[in-house]
Amino acid sequence: MEVKLNPSPSPKKDPGRAKTSSSKKRKASEKRLAYMLVAPSLLLILLIAIWPVLQSFYYSLFDLRLNNPTKSEVTLSYHLDLEKYLNSYPFLINVLEDEAGKAKGSSAETLNGLISELKEVDAGIQEDSAVKKQYQQVDDKLTNMEPVSEELSSVKVDKSDALKLDKTLHKVSSEVKGLKGLKNEEDALGLSSSLNEAVIKPNFVGFDHYKNNLTDKRMWMAIWNTSAFTIVSVFLELVIGLAIAVLINKAFFGRGLVRATILIPWAIPTAVSAKMWQFLYDGQNGVVAHIFEKVGLVGNATDLLTTNLGAMFSIIFTDVWKTTPYMALLLLAGLQTISSSLYEAASIDGASKWKQFTTITLPLLKSSILVALLFRTLDAFRVFDLVFVLTGGGPANSTETISILAYKRMFEQTNFGDGSALSVIVFVCVAVISMIFIKVLGRDLLTDR
Amino acid sequence: MNKKAGPLFYIFLAIFVFLVMFPFIWMLVSSIKPINELFGDKAFSPFTSHPTFENYISVFTNYPFLKYLWNSFVVSGITTLYTVLIASFTAYAIARLQFKGKTVILGLVLSVSMFPQIATISPIYILLKNIGLTNSYLGLIIPYTTITLPLSIWILVTFFRKIPFDLEEAAKMDGATLMQTYWKVILPLAVPGIFTTAILVFIAAWNEFLFALTINTDQAFKTVPVGIAMFEGQFTVPWGDITAATVIVTIPLVIMVLLFQRRIVSGLTSGAVKE
Repeated sequence: MEVKLNPSPSPKKDPGRAKTSSSKKRKASEKRLAYMLVAPSLLLILLIAIWPVLQSFYYSLFDLRLNNPTKSEVTLSYHLDLEKYLNSYPFLINVLEDEAGKAKGSSAETLNGLISELKEVDAGIQEDSAVKKQYQQVDDKLTNMEPVSEELSSVKVDKSDALKLDKTLHKVSSEVKGLKGLKNEEDALGLSSSLNEAVIKPNFVGFDHYKNNLTDKRMWMAIWNTSAFTIVSVFLELVIGLAIAVLINKAFFGRGLVRATILIPWAIPTAVSAKMWQFLYDGQNGVVAHIFEKVGLVGNATDLLTTNLGAMFSIIFTDVWKTTPYMALLLLAGLQTISSSLYEAASIDGASKWKQFTTITLPLLKSSILVALLFRTLDAFRVFDLVFVLTGGGPANSTETISILAYKRMFEQTNFGDGSALSVIVFVCVAVISMIFIKVLGRDLLTDR
Repeated sequence: MNKKAGPLFYIFLAIFVFLVMFPFIWMLVSSIKPINELFGDKAFSPFTSHPTFENYISVFTNYPFLKYLWNSFVVSGITTLYTVLIASFTAYAIARLQFKGKTVILGLVLSVSMFPQIATISPIYILLKNIGLTNSYLGLIIPYTTITLPLSIWILVTFFRKIPFDLEEAAKMDGATLMQTYWKVILPLAVPGIFTTAILVFIAAWNEFLFALTINTDQAFKTVPVGIAMFEGQFTVPWGDITAATVIVTIPLVIMVLLFQRRIVSGLTSGAVKE
């Protein structure tokens, strides 16, 4: 393969450039242009990569559930949904007054007491002039049967008012339940509970999601699965990839074909290859499962996707199939930068092939290997498509990786707060792994060549 | 090192190629089998006496597969065009111009390319949902930038660095402005590198799964990987359809890889290998 690698032209410094004023001007304009050219990319990266990660962290501090209307947004303060409030409050008062009129003695007293308490709370809410204005607007719209916008409907209220409303409503429902023989008991209860839903409490939970996750067995299981998958598959890919790279690092007939062969598993969508392997691993009709059974690798063809170990093996095998050729390609490119004269000299000195490999190839290939390892480890650690399609994390969560768990929390249980906490955990793991690698690799990954 | 290939080497090579290609060969073989031969005794036979195209017809008639292909094509195409354009400016600046903060920017690009997608998905999903962009092309093009932009900048920087500096100097001497130098001198020379980048970006966008799975859940906006992964029959897994669909998406890929293999390899290894 004639991959010509970075002939490394270092930027030439123009002699005398800094001396004249015109070149100074030019330098300044060069700088300005450079920042202008870099700006759009930086802005995009900031908006769709950095902001989401920070926002994920912010979400992870809240009890955010998209399927629960009182928790579907992050709020730090108490809010009142005026539309809901005004759709229940007057009717609740009506029902209670109606009952109070019919009831006798102490029941009537209790009911009247509740009514006045509710009215007091209502007055308390309307005390603020801004709230009152919005309150009236929503009320007018509701009387005219006009739609109320979300913005108009939501209003910030004092914590004390909100808590008082909440308390009073609890009192209403418990006392209504206590007073036996009310005709419209169900109405009163229904209205008071829907009134309660109008109060949106702050859903800030601090680090609770992290606390819960870090003590959750399932989370540690997912971390373990992810690490096991990452370490085993990347190790196999490196060893086999290196072996293949060393073996095909020579001139031979049909190079193009081999190179194309190597690229196809890499280029095919992971989800599609996972679906394909699902067919090959199928316990009844899968040819690979059948072959594995015949050679005794598994006891029974169905073991592959239905047992814990079999499923993990299947995922690793597929990943190795898909990525080893790519790894070989990266390492081969590194090998081709090693001058053959080194090997010739070593041969003359009588060094064995193995000795040449350990003393010439490995040391000179070190940075290629580390870079390939870095990218592969990070890729493997965030594995999602392969597991999602091939096993769905099963059987019995035995192949559930941390990304899969986060996905399930977010999109199956619509628990975005908890899911975001998990995704922040993935992010931190990835950051730690890359920092370790970069520490080993040194800064030369980034500097001008 | 032995640079000559012996017969043993070719045997090894043949085995290697066969192992790597076996799943595809088997998919091709299975896709032309009638459905009853995919199950039972004949499931393991590499030949069929009744070749048929019924699976291929089924893929296009029972699923909106053409729509999936179109969706993938539009999303990946637009993503590629716009990211490579923006990345080419940035890469040019980083590779050729003198300014402070280059290393920081390159480091930022590299770290962003390592971001796990799952860490960005919840805010992106909620944002797109709130502004009504789920189930749209734009809903995928926007988040795909997270993956494709750092990738393109990274590859393009190495390509731009390879262009000889003498040409730029000559243009400067002749009084060309920086922008003129870029359009008239650098860009034409960078075309092969830009093309290579475009291929890799297109493949990355075409293969993306997590965003496509969560953001575009509507049949009319699903992409190919999600579409195939979600193939479901009424009672059994529709293996016939799956094999045929796999072959359909693999064939253009094989052609592309055969045509552009050198470029792809040079792009893949450009950022990864150092001297």
